[in-house]
Amino acid sequence: MEERDPSVVARARDGDRDAFRALVDLHSRYIYSLAHRMTGNAQDAEDVVQEAWLKAHKQLARFEARADFRTWLHRITVNCSIDLIRSRRHREDAHDPADLEQGPLSERGADTQPTPERVAASVQISDRVQQALGLLTALERAAFTLRHVEGMSIEEVGEQLGMKTSATKHSIFRAVRKMRTALEPFVES
Amino acid sequence: MTNHLSEEELILHYYGETPRAAAPRLAEHLASCGECEAANTRLHRVLTLVDSAPPVDARPGFERDVWARLEPQLDEGLVRRLVRRSAVREGGSATREGGWRTFFWAPQWALAGGVAALVVVAFMAGRISNGTDVVLPAPQRAAASPERVLHAAVGDHLDRTQMMLVELVNADTDQLDQLAGEQARASDLVAANRLMRQSAEQSGDGAIADILEDLERVLLEIANAPADVTSNELSDLKSRITTEDLLFRVRVIASEMRQRNRTDREAGDRPAQRLPVS
Ligand SMILES: [Zn+2]
Repeated sequence: MEERDPSVVARARDGDRDAFRALVDLHSRYIYSLAHRMTGNAQDAEDVVQEAWLKAHKQLARFEARADFRTWLHRITVNCSIDLIRSRRHREDAHDPADLEQGPLSERGADTQPTPERVAASVQISDRVQQALGLLTALERAAFTLRHVEGMSIEEVGEQLGMKTSATKHSIFRAVRKMRTALEPFVES
Repeated sequence: MTNHLSEEELILHYYGETPRAAAPRLAEHLASCGECEAANTRLHRVLTLVDSAPPVDARPGFERDVWARLEPQLDEGLVRRLVRRSAVREGGSATREGGWRTFFWAPQWALAGGVAALVVVAFMAGRISNGTDVVLPAPQRAAASPERVLHAAVGDHLDRTQMMLVELVNADTDQLDQLAGEQARASDLVAANRLMRQSAEQSGDGAIADILEDLERVLLEIANAPADVTSNELSDLKSRITTEDLLFRVRVIASEMRQRNRTDREAGDRPAQRLPVS
């Protein structure tokens, strides 16, 4: 997204607290969605949003004025999500993957805000997709999202998540298989 | 047709990650096998469905909550940057931002330099300010360097001074009697402050000496304020403490002292670490 007012970024970079707050107001919702897609739950997504803003604030001086702020922030958010997931990797390695699931589906859907313009059918499908994503372990979800949404190569995904390429591949295979099992009924006429 | 394509092969194909050597066979098979072609189509549809789902939206008012949680932490980040800046300043010539120069106080103390003086400082700092000694952890006491004694003493002193200033700034301008208590504490702190400033100057700790010098002026002003101070004078004093960013700078140096004490203790074996995210 094009930054609507580049001067806001410039002012924030010069230490203007109000300008930085304006950026927080403008972009937090976007990076929350991104972080939620990566981490799969509201609490982690909120933590990632905080961490991303702290990093952005710290690194703002290095932000190129001509670059797109949201693109820059997007990268920071993905990196923060990866950091969070990596910091928990040992837990997933050591425990049953179910530990990393986000609890009952009813709870999981709680932060999905239906908006009037969303028709009932699409809400149903999006719920279904969220539920399917909820079946993935944290690592499967992260690997899948980095490959499928962020467009990283499997090798890059492995590097980012600190996994071997073969293990990354299998995480993605498992993720897609779970998605296919859950969603295939919706795509067959 | 035998040897249908596996799901894994179809997934790699979808993402354009089919190994080059396998690509011709895969393309050929897909073109000629209806079963695999149908499986491929289903996979595409499923993955397109994933894309079509709207993103999970944050709750209403989320931005406000983000800011409420974020803002205090931004100040801490600023503190860290200022600490780095003051560390740089210490190394070179101490350029000083203008400020409260009118109360410049020429030091008359003639303490001998070196460890002895610093230990005295540490002792005085604790005794004068709070009636308690500054105690270094026993195993480290023997090996304590002059710098470490100074850092510990200054850190301790700044914490106490900060508390006093915070109380003063938050004091109700109508409750003038509160000032009397702060005045007594301020005069105690002045004495410790002078000793420490001198030691800092002697040991070349420019940043510490700077903040202590500024503090000294304020402490003196508080200590010497007339007993019949008006509420206007008190609010004037408070506003100067705030506008000079004095509290903020005290916090910066105090946090730097804590950091140095930690660094001293860890003796350089601290591993490089990423910012904790969770
Ligand atoms: Zn086939």
